[in-house]
Amino acid sequence: MKLVRKAAFASLAAAALILAGGAHAQEKTGNKPGFTLAPGSAKIVLMRPSIQVGEQSTGGLAEPNADWTAQAREYLSKAIAGTQGQLGNSVADYAEPVGDQAALTAEYQALFAAVANSVIEFQFFPGNRLPTKKRANSFEWTLGKDIGQLPGLAGADYALFITTNDQYGSTGRKMLQIFAAMGGVGVTSGVHVGFAGLVDLRTGDLVWLNADLQMGGDVRTEDGAQRRVAQLFEGFPGRPAAVTSIAATAAR
Amino acid sequence: MRGRMVHAGRVAAACLLLHSYGAQADTSAPVTLPPYTQAYEPQGVDERGMWMQADEAERQLRDSNFVIRDEALQGYIRGIFCRTVGDARCRNVRIYLLRIPGFNATMYPNGMMTIWSGLLLRVKSEAELGAVLGHEFGHFELRHSLQGFKQIRSSTDALAWLSILAPVTTTALQVGIIGNFFAFNREQERQADMQGLSYLASSPYPSAVAADIWDRQMAEEDATAAGRKRKVKTHSYTAGFAASHPTDLARATYLRAAAAKIGDGGDAGAASYRAGLTKWLPAFLDDQIRLNDFGGSEYLLGQLASGGWRPELLYARAELYRQRGNPRDLVSAGQFYQEAIDKGYAGPEAYKGLGLCLMRSQQAEPGKAALRKYLELRPSGPDAPMIAALVGK
Repeated sequence: MKLVRKAAFASLAAAALILAGGAHAQEKTGNKPGFTLAPGSAKIVLMRPSIQVGEQSTGGLAEPNADWTAQAREYLSKAIAGTQGQLGNSVADYAEPVGDQAALTAEYQALFAAVANSVIEFQFFPGNRLPTKKRANSFEWTLGKDIGQLPGLAGADYALFITTNDQYGSTGRKMLQIFAAMGGVGVTSGVHVGFAGLVDLRTGDLVWLNADLQMGGDVRTEDGAQRRVAQLFEGFPGRPAAVTSIAATAAR
Repeated sequence: MRGRMVHAGRVAAACLLLHSYGAQADTSAPVTLPPYTQAYEPQGVDERGMWMQADEAERQLRDSNFVIRDEALQGYIRGIFCRTVGDARCRNVRIYLLRIPGFNATMYPNGMMTIWSGLLLRVKSEAELGAVLGHEFGHFELRHSLQGFKQIRSSTDALAWLSILAPVTTTALQVGIIGNFFAFNREQERQADMQGLSYLASSPYPSAVAADIWDRQMAEEDATAAGRKRKVKTHSYTAGFAASHPTDLARATYLRAAAAKIGDGGDAGAASYRAGLTKWLPAFLDDQIRLNDFGGSEYLLGQLASGGWRPELLYARAELYRQRGNPRDLVSAGQFYQEAIDKGYAGPEAYKGLGLCLMRSQQAEPGKAALRKYLELRPSGPDAPMIAALVGK
């Protein structure tokens, strides 16, 4: 009988080794070739975002923080609605179904996560790119057209998926970082990962995905959440140039 | 039913156990309400964070396709759990029965419990299931996830500083810290075992059954190893350096000793458990056969058949032998299918299995006859055209 203790062994091993961190040379955004979203037209449904905010302990363990997560959930949701509102698009939260239909929704949530991870691993990261993804205009991924049949999506054009995971370096972690730097060892402090994806509900195609392993913007504050959302929407199809440049200056 | 005196004696014994192990369990934590209290809110940054994570996990799990959606079975299992730990403790726990053929159950820090179908298949009575569920609930009541999290955090913090400040000289110290982590985990498991036993002692179920589970677990491991031509390991009492749990032998031994001291009796509910699981037994057996674990499955079937070979057990055994598929296995499988049919096995698939075995054992005509019988009983099954081709229609 096992007590659930996620990644306990992994973190032990990681702490024993202390990984030297560094940004991977990686692309962050992909768009389906030829796809544009006419501003001011789209009805977008925001699937329940996966948001986790916590602290990173000295040894690198993620310490979940319920208050920060609740704040981030509120601020991010507000910022997403605001950003899309500027584009003239409407964003509605997904009303979660019950019973058998809930199981189907859960399957599509899981399928999106699997597809998005595949894009990040086999297309965005050049060293690992599949041969079929090396050609030009090869951003071709789909969840299958049946996704439009999900309960609660009738009349909507797109489904938006958002995932963020933040661990702010604790004081102990930052001290460790300083001492390690004195000895010439690189220790990263904090984890800030996020990705956002847009699925066309008529075709099931993934039309846009943005994934960033080192995001800016403190999601525990309202301003920070707006910066984060601006970054999450980098490369969003149909985004007017003006907003893009604001996002670019706000980034990091 | 049993007398009041006996019951009072068991409660007293349970309190003693609770006291002695409770004292070790957590001396540093401030006094707070037990986590099973109605509408309990987690306290402090760490507990609140863990509950939040578990709540998110539960949202996903609730809608998962692995959950067995059968309210009758769900209600029956919940009844066993509530009789074991008492209504006050059980009423806020959410139980999810998962269709996974492994021997396991889990308890999350927010009071979500998962019970795997492989566990339901392996326990022999309501009391045995109660023993395992009581162990899991013990983790929850003693807040083991929270303590474990704090312990691993301090361990990894120390390791991180050591690796920076004295990277070469401290290997022994690092090994000590890592070993301590696993020892801490084992101690929690032992505490949960004793906590589970104390629930059993104050329940209508006899606490002596808790040790039996681990005896059979060892025997099944041996059978699996032998079936896979691996070395059958000696069961030792002492756990290895990186073991997360006490050894099966240790658990069987200390549980048996503690249960002997409690000395309670009562009906373990073996017959009612068999009846409660009747509907799902074929499906769970099918999952087990697919594990491709001949030795372990054969042992398990033998255990389930200790009260006699019922038709569904014979059918499962036939499938197991047909899967291994040596010529002699096909002879055995054919016999088991026939016995299952003779004893009234209801599904037409027994005729299919019988026919396929006979066809490959130089008995083409009787084989074709069995397959024709299968087609007659299930004319539009997905495999009907293939079977029809075999009998030459």
